[in-house]
Amino acid sequence: MEAHESKKFVVPIGPQHPALKEPGHFEFSVDGETVTDASLRLGFVHRGIEKATEGRTWVQNLYLLERICGICSDVHGTAYSIGVEKLAGVTVPPRAQAIRTIVAELERIHSHMLWLGVAAHEGGFDTLFMFSWRDRETVMDLLESISGNRVNYSVNLLGGVKFDIDEKQAGEIRRGLDYLEERTRHYMKVVTTDETFLGRTRGVGLMSKQQAELLGAVGPTARASGVERDVRVESPYLSYGEFPVNIMLETAGDLQARFVVRINELFETYRLIREILDHMPSGELTTRMPRRIPEGETISRAEAPRGELFYFIKSNGSDKPERIKVRTPSLCNWGSVISMAVGHKLADMPMLLVGIDPCFSCNDR
Amino acid sequence: MDSDCTLQTAETLLQPWAEGYDHPEPNRLDVQVTAANLKSAVQELVKAHWGYLSAITGLDHPAPGEAEGEDQAGSSSSLPVEGTLEALYHFCCSSVWTTLRVNVPYSRPVIPSICDIIPSATLYERELMELFGVELPGTPSLQRLVLPDDWPDGVYPLRKSFTGFESPTPP
Repeated sequence: MEAHESKKFVVPIGPQHPALKEPGHFEFSVDGETVTDASLRLGFVHRGIEKATEGRTWVQNLYLLERICGICSDVHGTAYSIGVEKLAGVTVPPRAQAIRTIVAELERIHSHMLWLGVAAHEGGFDTLFMFSWRDRETVMDLLESISGNRVNYSVNLLGGVKFDIDEKQAGEIRRGLDYLEERTRHYMKVVTTDETFLGRTRGVGLMSKQQAELLGAVGPTARASGVERDVRVESPYLSYGEFPVNIMLETAGDLQARFVVRINELFETYRLIREILDHMPSGELTTRMPRRIPEGETISRAEAPRGELFYFIKSNGSDKPERIKVRTPSLCNWGSVISMAVGHKLADMPMLLVGIDPCFSCNDR
Repeated sequence: MDSDCTLQTAETLLQPWAEGYDHPEPNRLDVQVTAANLKSAVQELVKAHWGYLSAITGLDHPAPGEAEGEDQAGSSSSLPVEGTLEALYHFCCSSVWTTLRVNVPYSRPVIPSICDIIPSATLYERELMELFGVELPGTPSLQRLVLPDDWPDGVYPLRKSFTGFESPTPP
């Protein structure tokens, strides 16, 4: 914020953010307790990944792009693979598609539960934070049993997947989901009935449908304002065509709605994974992939836990990409926070920020 | 979806401003517009509620010889070639895409800001400014968004000519 015309007080927050575990810098102009203006500075964890992709081969880039984000690493790999496979004209076998979908959905569970914990913590509700993170271990263990890793599962290969899911693992996943479903019911009860918690969320950070559309919000943030925007529904990729997802909408547009949307999405995800496990296609896990990708440009997108993830991939016909552009969902949602902040109490800021489930590594790249 | 999400609709809407069309994929329409016509074209899409601005991608096309690779051989432009910067405005409507492509020369890399029509474009425009050195008159914030504070002025990391600093840390 440049020298302000009036004598407003500016409260800088960050880069070492007191609420979130990643660096970002905010400046809130306040009039008493009320925020009158907000600005944002990112880039503290900018690693130049887009530039770095231009010097690496298509295969190396898969591993680089997965490391954009630790929470939603799988969806980066998936969006990239889909794009490159499209350029190469390669069709991935159905079983591989199904496994990609299952892992993407397991990742959504882990991400939403992580978010629920962080959000509860910001709301001063540490018991819920401890509970949801304890239960999140269930899904982390499942991911580890499939891929051997708790984060960066790296299931994707260009042209397929690395890991199969056998009957024994499917049984483990089903048991894990049963437990999580029961726990999620409990969380739903807590976030919709606990008076103290509702005091922090109900009517806070209101964003109308119109505003959400204008500000270009995506993912659960947009769906909590009634905007029907979910890539899995609008433009089904992977196995979302055969196993359709129901879009979860809320119309209130406040923080509480953002909690409800995400928890409802958890239920929907449990249902979807069970359905895929019950109708698992058989067949190969991989297909042949050329080392050089034909010249062309493509757009590939996927629904990350935080919203629409966008990849623009341009190939010049060599074994390295000409340009890869990544636009992550958090970047779209910043606009909504900055404008929602105005008029709220400074003390609501941590909850508002966390309400969009921001991921700094993602939008810095 | 309250609008008609088809590429035909987009094509009709953009007719007055288009310099050329291309269908790179069945669900995509690329429209060439000039920097001067960009705002009118964006306005047209927004007025008709045709999708939303999903991203702005920058591309660098150095003149052949300036950076190796990429020889634009056989192109109709036989004039002395100057490197260009291209900005791609991706609009998404359900499962189809319209991309407005704006080409500007290195010597005058100016594209008007569209933030007065789509306020959320500010973050995308700031990235474009910092990483490619496109000038966007009218954009609300000129502050650095992603590059460090001590990054030298006039060095645009996503241009092909940038291959890193000599020392591992900028001077």
